[in-house]
Amino acid sequence: MKFECGDLDRALAVPDLMPDALLHAKTCPACRRELRLWNEISRTAGQLHQEWDSPDLWPRIREALAAEPKPSKPWWRSWYWLAVPALALGIFAAVLLRPPRRAEPVRGRSFLTEQALQEVEQNEAAYRKSIDKLSELAGQKLETTESPLAVSYREKLVLLDSAINDVKATLSRNRFNAQLRTELAGLYRDKQKTLEEILTRDSKN
Amino acid sequence: MLQNKQDAEDAVQETFLKVHRSLPGFHGESSLGTWMYRILINCCYDIVRRRKRLAETGEPADAGRHSEIPLRLALERALKRIEDKHRMVFLLFEVEGLKHSEIAGILSIPEGTSRSWLFEAKRELKRHLMLPEPRP
Repeated sequence: MKFECGDLDRALAVPDLMPDALLHAKTCPACRRELRLWNEISRTAGQLHQEWDSPDLWPRIREALAAEPKPSKPWWRSWYWLAVPALALGIFAAVLLRPPRRAEPVRGRSFLTEQALQEVEQNEAAYRKSIDKLSELAGQKLETTESPLAVSYREKLVLLDSAINDVKATLSRNRFNAQLRTELAGLYRDKQKTLEEILTRDSKN
Repeated sequence: MLQNKQDAEDAVQETFLKVHRSLPGFHGESSLGTWMYRILINCCYDIVRRRKRLAETGEPADAGRHSEIPLRLALERALKRIEDKHRMVFLLFEVEGLKHSEIAGILSIPEGTSRSWLFEAKRELKRHLMLPEPRP
């Protein structure tokens, strides 16, 4: 692949491309300047870290903490330590004295949760499919142009895809994590919006 | 983040008070440090919001003391112009030296998002640093 100035931003996002970028920068002053600035930002940021002695701070905090009303004990805490062993003993006795029973198929809450999750996954797959179609259309438009805007869009899509894959990998380890599902849906929405922007912009031009 | 020592100390004090009040509700879903960091960041946001509400237009007490270092000053200015979430990840990673895994825990986002926000932050900063200063 021949590295060009337009590839620089992508190289900054994808470390694998950095050797090519460095090689290109040797002969390109503009990219050399951008790369230097990129590294300079991190170096200068380190200088923004500030620490200082503040001998009055801790006494002030201690005073404020002392003035705080004491949190009231929840009602169950007062007999909690007595109740826990009693409850454990009760459960132990119940398990020992329970007559043996034949195993029944798993029903109820876990079954419903699994079913609900399957529905979510089906909807997600349908959504992903429609985004893939959009992606194909937008990809064709992006491939034919080398404008800085197109490069920027390509880059954004690479980042979004990488974030989507990341979340999906985490989700595969815990399919029931609702927060990650929301995050994934958000990323898909971002991707859809970006693809729509590409297509609309193109049809306007 | 607050660019003002007094505000930073107030944020630390407020964090300890909130930790004290909320400790019974802490069930160890994350490490104590991550939880406290999250509270601290929320306190910082509160202070920034309060500051905006009061429309304190004066420069912070120690702003400009590094005016002899142009890039640092330019970076401080550019940081004010980038998106909040990108700035937060940039400050935690580049200034405070936290790892992406730690930032992900504090901000409740996946690690990949933390990486992508850091990239966006640096790209926005680069763009601002290469552009001339906006006219007041």
